[in-house]
Amino acid sequence: MMAEIETPNVARIVDRYGGDPDMLIPMMQDIQAQCGYLPQAELKELSRTLQVPLARIYSVATFYASFRLAPKGEHTIQLCMGTVCFLKGAGQISDTLQKEFSLVAGGTSPDGKFTFSPVNCVGACALAPVMVVDGQYYGNLSVDKAVDMLRLVAAGEAPLGDQVEGEAKGCSRN
Amino acid sequence: MPTVTIDGKACPAQVGETILEVARRNGIWIPTLCHHAALEPYAACRLCVVEIDRGGWWQVVTSCNYPVRGDLTVRVQSERAIRDRQGVIQLMLARSPDSPELRELAARMGVFGTPYPKVTESQRNCILCGLCVRVCEERIGASAISLVGRGVERAVAAPFRLASEDCIGCGACAAICPVGTIVVRFHPTEVEISPFKTRVKLRRCARCGEPLASELAARAMAQRGGPTVVELLQDEVHCSRCKRKELAQELTATLPTPRYHEPAASGTDGQQRSVRRD
Amino acid sequence: MSTTTVRLESTRDLEALREELRKQRDPNAKQVRICLGTGCTAKGAIRVFERFQEAARQSDDATSVIGAKCTGCHGFCERGPIVVVDPGNLFYSNVKEEDVPEIWRESVIGGRLLERLLYQDEANGRVAKTPEEIPFYRAQQRVVLAMNGVIDPRSIDDYLVHGGYAALAKALDTMTPDQVIDEVTRSGLRGRGGGGFPTGKKWRSARDAHGEPRYVIANGDEGDPGAFMDRSLMEGCPHAVIEGMIIGAYAIGSTQGYIYVRNEYPLAVEHLTIAINQARELGLLGQNILGSGLDFDIRINRGGGAFVCGESTALMASLEGRPGEPRAKYIHTVESGLHGKPSLLNNVETWANIPAIILRGADWFASMGTAKSKGTKVFSLVGKVRHTGLVEVPMGMTLRQIIYDIGGGIRDGKRFKAVQTGGPSGGCIPAEYLDEPVDFDRLTELGSMMGSGGMIVMDEETCMPSVARYFIQFLKEESCGKCTPCREGIAQMLDILNRITRGKGRPDDLQSLRTLAELLEDTALCALGKTAAYPVLSTIRYFQEEYDAHIHERHCPAKVCAGMFRYVINEETCRGCGLCAKKCPIHGITGERKRPHVIDQVRCTHCGTCFEVCPFAGVMKV
Repeated sequence: MMAEIETPNVARIVDRYGGDPDMLIPMMQDIQAQCGYLPQAELKELSRTLQVPLARIYSVATFYASFRLAPKGEHTIQLCMGTVCFLKGAGQISDTLQKEFSLVAGGTSPDGKFTFSPVNCVGACALAPVMVVDGQYYGNLSVDKAVDMLRLVAAGEAPLGDQVEGEAKGCSRN
Repeated sequence: MPTVTIDGKACPAQVGETILEVARRNGIWIPTLCHHAALEPYAACRLCVVEIDRGGWWQVVTSCNYPVRGDLTVRVQSERAIRDRQGVIQLMLARSPDSPELRELAARMGVFGTPYPKVTESQRNCILCGLCVRVCEERIGASAISLVGRGVERAVAAPFRLASEDCIGCGACAAICPVGTIVVRFHPTEVEISPFKTRVKLRRCARCGEPLASELAARAMAQRGGPTVVELLQDEVHCSRCKRKELAQELTATLPTPRYHEPAASGTDGQQRSVRRD
Repeated sequence: MSTTTVRLESTRDLEALREELRKQRDPNAKQVRICLGTGCTAKGAIRVFERFQEAARQSDDATSVIGAKCTGCHGFCERGPIVVVDPGNLFYSNVKEEDVPEIWRESVIGGRLLERLLYQDEANGRVAKTPEEIPFYRAQQRVVLAMNGVIDPRSIDDYLVHGGYAALAKALDTMTPDQVIDEVTRSGLRGRGGGGFPTGKKWRSARDAHGEPRYVIANGDEGDPGAFMDRSLMEGCPHAVIEGMIIGAYAIGSTQGYIYVRNEYPLAVEHLTIAINQARELGLLGQNILGSGLDFDIRINRGGGAFVCGESTALMASLEGRPGEPRAKYIHTVESGLHGKPSLLNNVETWANIPAIILRGADWFASMGTAKSKGTKVFSLVGKVRHTGLVEVPMGMTLRQIIYDIGGGIRDGKRFKAVQTGGPSGGCIPAEYLDEPVDFDRLTELGSMMGSGGMIVMDEETCMPSVARYFIQFLKEESCGKCTPCREGIAQMLDILNRITRGKGRPDDLQSLRTLAELLEDTALCALGKTAAYPVLSTIRYFQEEYDAHIHERHCPAKVCAGMFRYVINEETCRGCGLCAKKCPIHGITGERKRPHVIDQVRCTHCGTCFEVCPFAGVMKV
């Protein structure tokens, strides 16, 4: 189930800034603060209320790195697909996780739980295979360990696993 | 009245004019791509760079938007300015190697290839000059498309990369595109602006069925006063393709009192292009 | 927090309030100051703060006032969390939550020193009681950062007690706007954001420009990787910025100001918001400030996440609700800026210098620094130095003094290689120039620039082509994409640097980089593109042998670039434990137990696993 999001009252947000079209960016930041991202419908309403072309709003939404046009999942998963991790089974981990949790590579699972990206070498090859969950690195994974980890995370509990700290290096075959 | 001396030629000028305007009036050619007389200068392509004397050093500036505020000494054909302009078009050719218009312009500038590999993608040779976006915003008033994304990911697109709800299907963007990225296509009942996936209802000749223009564009023309589309297209000297070109030109018409006259030239020095095949 | 909500109607009211607040303060009051700057909170300072708050609440010492305040950044981030106990200015570092009860008992209540938490110099073992005894602070001259770590940034009362807004009162009471501009001009202050443009000259142009309304803008979009001076200033002493802006507004006749804060600095936004509200409540912002007739207010705008918005015209585009695309500055922004109106934009640190200049005078400011670079500068000293953090020193101090005397020299016994200044627009300066003075012009002559003040120290294990590649990669992601040379040119430079650092360099690569550098400098639209190649050029200038090794020998002398150096087992140190062989993902290490092992150089993927896991330092990088 998608996290409950409060439908932002665009009119109220526009009012907050006196309807000043200069304040487009703060208005969009407020919408995103409420929704977790910038929904199309809200941006269209913003365009109508402010009398600013939708094309310009879309320009602004895609120019600034902090704006998201798609919802982010509750948890962010990055699976390292660097050469060493790959040699140690990251591919199987990826396939299994995608099946088990309906993950979408490069996107968010339908239940809104996980945003999943296969990524280039994260530089922790000594502990391959490596997965990053909500910013924390976990190494020495197996298919089973990875599945268990995500089950814990989905249930709102802290994942258990070999955490990785310190500097990172890479592999020449990446 | 200030004097702008370009490559030794003294040209009288007015305060507020740009170096490019003075040069053109005096028959001096400076290549441009993102410049258009009907639109505010954008200075994005950087092809029009020249050197100006700052007293002790020479500054490289874009001639399309450098304002004349007093006497000015300009070098167009200096070694550095030529090298810089050639460098810019070489970068463009690397991005869009298959564009005949770019190659033609480059040849006119003395560039016949590029030392740079292709490291960026362009959508159908789009060089991000922004002319389409600017004409739609400044002259048509529809703002249907915009420049989206940042850096090498920058592209021209309609909101959410879906069909635009604000487009009136006039084809001005296609007419003004110097490299033919944007194309107008005619379908049975619709005008399509490609690649924006946008379709607008098409008005056809009640007698022979020849496509005239989009309904919305026709209405926009009517609201502006002046000849209606129908009146314009009753001029039987022109074929339909030329009539569409006229329509596009009319929609992008310059201000009532032109500040200068363009040398009658075809080709890719920033002039309008005819609407492409359908 | 303000103890009064009565609006100040005149400078007399202000001084009366200040007197009142000072009377309420006991200079001998026992106090604990805990740094809650971002560096310290990352190491657990909030918990330390909370424990002190608990201790204060439970204390039954009724005769003295004990307060646990939260303060801005002390700058000594390497040694955080930092706790200072008053009276006595006792300086404790690396404080953990578990230390709090002991500190409270021994130092706060008992007035005794807690030896084990005092700063101890690794080099000579000397223990320091107070900041003045610590080399890191002793060599600094904190003007702009004077109140960081001393006042509670969320308390306007603290700022007032320490002399805040006295400069504003002096300007409004005793100086005309022209005199204010003269003072700033005579001080020699130059922009602290990177451009180094003479501030007084900019103010004069703004004043002389035509058009209403006029705007005053503070650029808090600090985007250089490794720089956090402005963040600490906005978090630790927001009123200094505000006071500077009000003085600027008075000088040029502005009624509306903006502070543009980077989106990634939520604490700075919070502290600035609180400060502005406090100033408004007291009547220091709004209508008829202190009865002078000056109307001025400030709005905070948050960035959306774009490095390019640190460029003045891009910042103004952002303030107008548009993408941060720069535009030509053939007509300067002081004449035609925000909404085409005269706009005075200065960096946050520049604004923070203004109150001191007005209060203590241009001559005082000009007595510090070099002939053409006056005053002090805040640097973020980071990288391979022993003591990282914020340092404020007079212009003209040498790189050696900053890196060695203050920074404590290179960490882990390594050798200094270069110091990178000026962020992605700057360059790397090698060891032979360590005795050069740090000022605007000298750094530019050396092929770098002051920039906003980032100083990244690099040692022998840094690969300079990789450093260049890193900065170009950064700029590629941050380029707005409007102009051809920056968008395409940076992508071309990255392509070349990627090849060089992956062993695919070509003999004409350096010349291509130089050609592109010149092209960008001439034809790019804004400073991002124009200066994009500087890190590349400066590293080629001083470290060409390193580039040559990468290109011609496919070897990375610093042993950083994967695949461009070898891992070899040291026969003398290898104990033959077999751990590396077990961990090697391609089973490329062979050897008998207790005998030196051997890496198969042909099949080695250079992943570095053996190097990481060997407990005996038996694997060498060659």
